[in-house]
Amino acid sequence: MSSALAVAVLSAGPIRGDEPEFFERPSAPNQWTFGRRLDESQLRYCVDPRDPDWEVATAIADALAQGLLLEPQRYVIDSEYVSEDITKVYAILLEHCDIHMGFKLIPGSYSDWAMLTRAYYEADYVFVTADPDINALDDLAPTRPIGATLGTAAHIRLVSYLTALPAEERWPAFPMGTNDLALTSLLNGTVDVALVWAPTLWAKQREDSAYAGLRIIDPAPLPPTTLGVGAIMLSNETFLRAALDEAISALSADGTITDILAEYGFPARVEQ
Amino acid sequence: MTYFKLRSVLLTATALTAGMSATTLAAQENPIDKVSPVTDEMLLNPPDGDWLMWRRTYNGWGYSPLDQINKENVGDLQLAWSWAMTPGRTQETPLVHDGIIYIQNSDQTIQALDGASGDLIWEYQYDLPDDVEPRGVRNKAIYQDKLIVATRDAHLIALDTKTGQLVWDKTVANHTFGYNFTSGPMVVNGVIVQGMTGCGGGQPGGCFFTGHDVNTGEEIWRINTIAQGDSPESNTWNGVPVESRYGASAWIPGTYDPEQNLIFAGVGQPYPWNTEIAGLTPPSSDPNVTNEALYTNSTLAIDPSNGELKWYHQHLPTDSLDLDYVYERLLIDLPVDGTTRKMAVTTGKIGIIEALDRETGEYLWDVETVPQNVVLSIDPETGDKTINPEVIPVIGETTFNCPADPGGRAWQATAYSPRTEALYLPTVEFCSNTTVNPLDPGAIYTGGGLQTYSRVEHPDGDGNIGQVRAINLNDRSEMWQYRQRPPVTSSTLPTGGGLVFVGSLDRKFMAFDDETGEKLWESGKLSSSLESFPITYEAGGKQYVAITANFASGLGRLASLTPEVKLPANDPITLFVFALPD
Repeated sequence: MSSALAVAVLSAGPIRGDEPEFFERPSAPNQWTFGRRLDESQLRYCVDPRDPDWEVATAIADALAQGLLLEPQRYVIDSEYVSEDITKVYAILLEHCDIHMGFKLIPGSYSDWAMLTRAYYEADYVFVTADPDINALDDLAPTRPIGATLGTAAHIRLVSYLTALPAEERWPAFPMGTNDLALTSLLNGTVDVALVWAPTLWAKQREDSAYAGLRIIDPAPLPPTTLGVGAIMLSNETFLRAALDEAISALSADGTITDILAEYGFPARVEQ
Repeated sequence: MTYFKLRSVLLTATALTAGMSATTLAAQENPIDKVSPVTDEMLLNPPDGDWLMWRRTYNGWGYSPLDQINKENVGDLQLAWSWAMTPGRTQETPLVHDGIIYIQNSDQTIQALDGASGDLIWEYQYDLPDDVEPRGVRNKAIYQDKLIVATRDAHLIALDTKTGQLVWDKTVANHTFGYNFTSGPMVVNGVIVQGMTGCGGGQPGGCFFTGHDVNTGEEIWRINTIAQGDSPESNTWNGVPVESRYGASAWIPGTYDPEQNLIFAGVGQPYPWNTEIAGLTPPSSDPNVTNEALYTNSTLAIDPSNGELKWYHQHLPTDSLDLDYVYERLLIDLPVDGTTRKMAVTTGKIGIIEALDRETGEYLWDVETVPQNVVLSIDPETGDKTINPEVIPVIGETTFNCPADPGGRAWQATAYSPRTEALYLPTVEFCSNTTVNPLDPGAIYTGGGLQTYSRVEHPDGDGNIGQVRAINLNDRSEMWQYRQRPPVTSSTLPTGGGLVFVGSLDRKFMAFDDETGEKLWESGKLSSSLESFPITYEAGGKQYVAITANFASGLGRLASLTPEVKLPANDPITLFVFALPD
């Protein structure tokens, strides 16, 4: 992972939605009531159980706090939303935590109210199938569909590749709103291959035997899509980010984060 | 768990202070006591002093016949009273009946105010679940003794118009999948008709309109806005299964033609916006499928009694730029080629006014307004558009399109005056450098419709981003145009007094001569930008004009083009009510 990717901040922010309900300028209820906190001896971090890596992220955040000689203060997000706009994180950061674990380092994907630490691990988007005859994407016949988690960096890479192919050689690529929906479409036979975030597959296989028969295949002819994952914070937390980046470097170098990933059998690796 | 509680404020009880004489009490009779039931006849022909639905009348004109405030005296208009609402973001349209004004705060507190004084009569606090961000809803409906309100967690509720007491509460969809209401309902012959929005990545299959029994809230019909099943319309999704079809939100209320017993409503664009990511391009080699993505960007003609789709017309197939054709359909009868036609007139984000025959769905005519480079030509017989291929976003490239989301006209409604036979449009002129970007920054959190719009001024513009345009719908000529640098950000309000009221990003409320476009009155600076729906009404025999000052979505996003316009950071919301001096 290049350190340049650790700063993924652009002024032109993305907007979401199927109607104009979204804002470059995020807001939070009573946002003017949140001032500078006085207790600087804690590292307040948020984790979200909807995120497949949240237990791993918790362990990494605790290690980061320990490395910075800060008292870890965990806040666990309680929400049942399947999907939310990233501006919601603004309110969470104002109210509950200094950093929110579990955000991918994608240049150009964050507005200027937010910034990210350097990555504490890297993970892949993976092609998954239950078909024993498919060992690489190349083995998939052109008429058989792929269910791709909608709008991901890997989905965009797949679509770019398909567009360059002659029509008769393209796989149908069906967008699926979430990783879960992509895996469901694989289980129910709507698609033959699903393109999902590897940690999601890992979490599903831990908790539900229905997913046990799914396996990762070689992405060839596409290269793997790998993204770093770090913590998001408000863009005025420059001192904290510098400290966290140093801590992540140190814990990456001494094997602490690698050990945490290994303890959980988590499908990620650490950039040295 | 959602909790509901009534917090009625019985001001009559408050007034019962010790020592107050019976005579005094009689003199201070609570105006809510005089509120009458709203009948079907009233909805068909509203009293002049009432504002009973989103655009006041079923035809969607947004016009009031009140003329106490007129060209001669509007210069004397002054603030009568104001009401601070819960801070946040909203797009409020107050309702008025028998001098009582009903408003919905961003935190879903519903209030009834005395339209003459601004005094609070009752309020009801609908408690949103903790994980639902509070924001306002554009409109409400009123029928008999019930105020019908849509909430941000996809519920419909009915309140007693006199007391604010909850009558019923119905869940229409599971908000955790993203379903929510940004607009409220209309009521037709005792049926509540409500459109759903938020049909992005959380749950496939698109949005829907629902019909509900006004007495119980029970759902009696539902029609999907994405074609499904074994039908020619369903084969317009490029071979993508229903499990992979998203969008088609129904986020603006419809209009109603009692002669045909039909509702005319718009549907938004497919999601995500980029057609390659949505699976709509490149076109499938299967000869049995096409890629228009019905019923996105279409006008639907729906029977409100059973939800049956009578006809549809798609204005913009295979939309790749978030250029909704979801906005209001105005029902106007005017000559076309010498013959009076019953029209449904709508204007999409591209700013092209389009007329359909509302009896058949036949395409009639179009008029361009704002500068645009998306549509190269329109077939005069069918309305089919030839899209400029250079503006279609492509992965790995930056394209240039005018306008961009939120549109040359956004959700701020156009309005029609029968006095002048003109359509009054709030418009903005701008362009965008558009790039495709991923939306998977967090496992749960997404960031965009897959395209980033870096908005810029139009290269041939004069620096005036905001306009009010008056288009004569008889000959489709431009009557007048008002231009200013800050975006024009409210709906238009034409009145029987020969005025057109409108608000702008720089906190000003203005009144224009409806025939000449001369600015006749301008308010002082208000508390925030004016991104809402102005109304006018009568209370105690006096005409009032009301508008909510608030920052909202849509054109508020153009604030980046006018950094000199300073807006408050805490998003205050205030209902301002103006009147002539006594």
